Amino acid sequence: MNKGRLLAAFISVATVVFIAIGTLWPGPSAAAYAGGKSLLRPSSTPTAAVENLGDEIRLLAWEKAYSRLGNKAQFTEQEFEHDLTGYYLSLRTYATLESFDVRPLHASNNEAEVQIRLHWSSVVGAFVNTRNLRVVKNGDRWNVDWPLVKKPMVPPQVIAVNYLRWDVIYRGPGDDWGVQDVEAPHVRIVDMHPVQRAEGVVVLGELLNEDVVPAYVSVRATLLSKDGSQIASEGSFDKISHILLPKQITPFLINFPNATLSEVGSVRMEPLSALVSASADPVIEIENQRLNPAPDASLTGQLVNQSGQIVNIAHVLGTFYDKTGQVVWVADQYTDSALLPQSPVPFDVHIPEDLARKISSERTVIATYSVGGFQ
Amino acid sequence: MQLGGKTVKRTESVAPSERPIAMGLIVLAALAIHLPLLLMKLPLKSYDANFHIFFASHYVHHWFNPWNAKWYAGFSQATYPPLPQQWIAVISRLVGLDMAYMAVQLAAILLLALGVYRFSKLWVNPRAASFAALASVFLGSESFLVYSAGQLATTSAAPIYLNALPYLFEWVRYGKWRAFLKASVLFTAAAAAHHATLLFGSFFFALPVLALVLLDGRDGDRPDGERTPVPAFVLRTVAIVAIVGAAIAIVLLPFWIALIHYPVTQTPIPHPSRANYILSPQWGLNYFIVPYGALILALPFIAIRGSMVARLRPLLLGFWVAFLIGLGGTTPVAHLLLGRAFEVLTMERFSYWATLLALPFVGLLAAELIDRFRMRAVFALIVAAAFTCALAVAWSTFRPADASNFKVDSVASWLNRDGHDNYRYVTLGFGNKIARLAVLTDASSVDGEWNSGRMLPELTRYGAGALTSSKYFGEPGLDALRAILRHADRYGLKWVIVRDHYYDPLLKFAGWRQVDDLEDRTITIWSKDGVPPAMPVNAPQIPPHWQGILWGILPFGSSILALLAIFIPDGKRRDRPADHFLDAHENLVSGSVAS
Repeated sequence: MNKGRLLAAFISVATVVFIAIGTLWPGPSAAAYAGGKSLLRPSSTPTAAVENLGDEIRLLAWEKAYSRLGNKAQFTEQEFEHDLTGYYLSLRTYATLESFDVRPLHASNNEAEVQIRLHWSSVVGAFVNTRNLRVVKNGDRWNVDWPLVKKPMVPPQVIAVNYLRWDVIYRGPGDDWGVQDVEAPHVRIVDMHPVQRAEGVVVLGELLNEDVVPAYVSVRATLLSKDGSQIASEGSFDKISHILLPKQITPFLINFPNATLSEVGSVRMEPLSALVSASADPVIEIENQRLNPAPDASLTGQLVNQSGQIVNIAHVLGTFYDKTGQVVWVADQYTDSALLPQSPVPFDVHIPEDLARKISSERTVIATYSVGGFQ
Repeated sequence: MQLGGKTVKRTESVAPSERPIAMGLIVLAALAIHLPLLLMKLPLKSYDANFHIFFASHYVHHWFNPWNAKWYAGFSQATYPPLPQQWIAVISRLVGLDMAYMAVQLAAILLLALGVYRFSKLWVNPRAASFAALASVFLGSESFLVYSAGQLATTSAAPIYLNALPYLFEWVRYGKWRAFLKASVLFTAAAAAHHATLLFGSFFFALPVLALVLLDGRDGDRPDGERTPVPAFVLRTVAIVAIVGAAIAIVLLPFWIALIHYPVTQTPIPHPSRANYILSPQWGLNYFIVPYGALILALPFIAIRGSMVARLRPLLLGFWVAFLIGLGGTTPVAHLLLGRAFEVLTMERFSYWATLLALPFVGLLAAELIDRFRMRAVFALIVAAAFTCALAVAWSTFRPADASNFKVDSVASWLNRDGHDNYRYVTLGFGNKIARLAVLTDASSVDGEWNSGRMLPELTRYGAGALTSSKYFGEPGLDALRAILRHADRYGLKWVIVRDHYYDPLLKFAGWRQVDDLEDRTITIWSKDGVPPAMPVNAPQIPPHWQGILWGILPFGSSILALLAIFIPDGKRRDRPADHFLDAHENLVSGSVAS
């Protein structure tokens, strides 16, 4: 073989080999775009079957994912999809599956139980769903039985609406939010103190609307060093309920990443309020509320929507107090499913283990988001 | 066919022409194909066209100040070579920004045909080179970059670079000083248009040309009868590398200063050109089938002919490496060769360069097919070329950069009235319309599309691109959005302009409030109370005045110099080696391949 033919053969073979390597063992970028899959993972084990299912869910390949299920005769593909993305518009609808972990629980020759933890990213933050899946051997393949949660059905009923509502008449459509000629509602910080945490300094406390009108509120904290110079300034962002009805109270938590409490001489607090339209609707009732001690300390309960309209996302803000009534911690959680009228939705707010022992009481505040709802 | 009882063999009526296609005809073909498309402003639908227009609009008003306050609360345009954008700014005085963009793009397309012809003549005979030049008009990757990607810088720099390479050959091979001068100014102008083209072009284009000099110059019995001694080769190569390197260092000095002081260390942003095109066939279609088109059919010919003819081997190797890198994550080659740059660069430009390197082979193949099959070959080649070009042009409609075509004029006028532009804004769900909006409004944004130029820590910390498309970057994108909204007070960020209600829950829970709506309520404007007016960012990245002066004079000046230099007569014409050498050699080999 002459040099030319040798070179042509080398280039051809090397190209094929490179493509084979890149396809059988894709790099991180390529694997991410392929949904984590390679050509080397048939559903020959229970874990691989669940991993393949996870990949298809991540790629939103509902048809393929549904076709892998062993119990697909029990429900439709649409029900399967809605079980994961929500039957009604909710945080799950706004979420994308970022990654998943698979953990085998137990296995026999023909059946296994595998846990899948789905790590979702949503517009308000990440959340995790855990499902325990039964995996059944079918010939030389394993198929997943999906534990479908049926669509909640609300019985027909009439709900009387007699909630309070405050309207504000602006000068005109060009009247910007916050640029008002009226006096701002009176609000007061009733508790505040900084604490040192591993991630930095955290300023937490409570804010009270003392007025007889509703208020939009936010809180800004500025850390000052011992010589009076500014260290950092941050706002409460979503760790607060921004709309306060008259006499209502909200916790707030402000993070200062990388700051050290020993360097802080004082904290300057700037509560801000403005007059806004507001409504007492929807009314959310909290049932079976419970403080669970460490380990796995948490605040659990169920939210019940007492109004007649669907609440798409609820934000649970828990304020935790010690025996003296001082705020020890503020924690929150967004519900990942919509709140239908009269249908309980569980919540589980995590409490740091080191603080759990100090907590003796709590207060829970709910903020809500409804599509096209009252702002 | 029988005539008077005698059998007559059917022959073609026209004998094959040995003459190349006139360059005038090739230019006419380029005008016929691309001028209507550019007059229709088709590139405005592409990913990056509005980005270049936005940069140009800044040069219109601030030619000597590369600090642009409209994106990222302020960033330096000296982080991006300015030549095509400065030309748009100049021409826009006559025809407006959009048509100026089209004019510069058209000039690049015409220059490409000329550059491909001149580059191809180094490797193949003039006739094949003219076919290669004609093929460049229909090249899928060119149309893909022009109409879908909008990569004006890449498509402007490559033709200048290709036109410089024959001068590099003449200088190193024969030591012609005029060639040295022309090569130097053209290389410098190419770098002023796009630095990456020059950097990677050195490996894919210049190294094969230098190897060709060595191959042609090692024997005294070559057709031109002239040897190139190795010391002369080394000396001339070192000389031009040193001079061009120094020229580029000076012409782009503010760029290098910015790069050294503020290297691109931000978290890499995913790009589908790094996907495996087999495991992700949708991206294979986008980044392989569309750019290559019918050229895929020529790949076996390229491999065989490039291997068999010793003189073509450097070109083959340059093509092969660019081809493999252009395959992105389909092979491990790009990651191995580029290292971290693999996570920063996008791969479609490598496919573009690979197709340019393939064109001399395509010209050769076309010439041989036409010689052998005459009109049938002509017809087949026309169909293949038309299909390739049509697919790539139509791709911008099949897979538009921004599926929803909407106007941002009402948003711009809202921002420009009643003092709204005293505050900064960010859009959500606007796609690549943010550059168009930035051209139209006086207000400043914390978002932008030039990722390497951004310095805000809230943006560089996460592996996501523009905030307006946060949700498409998954968790990193949403983390970046939350981080910037969290610091709204710091940046005077009062307005969030929303065209995607996906983001509404975050705004609601983070204390923003809807205050207005536009365009039949498809666009809503959210505001945050208590935000102070935006203050100019006193960033250390602001280039000093002397850098602004250099930036306004040298890159544009290099292109003027290049224009003047090419009018210097070439002196005594010397036949290119391919004119004689390849004619004989190609026939020998093509006979064996074609028979």
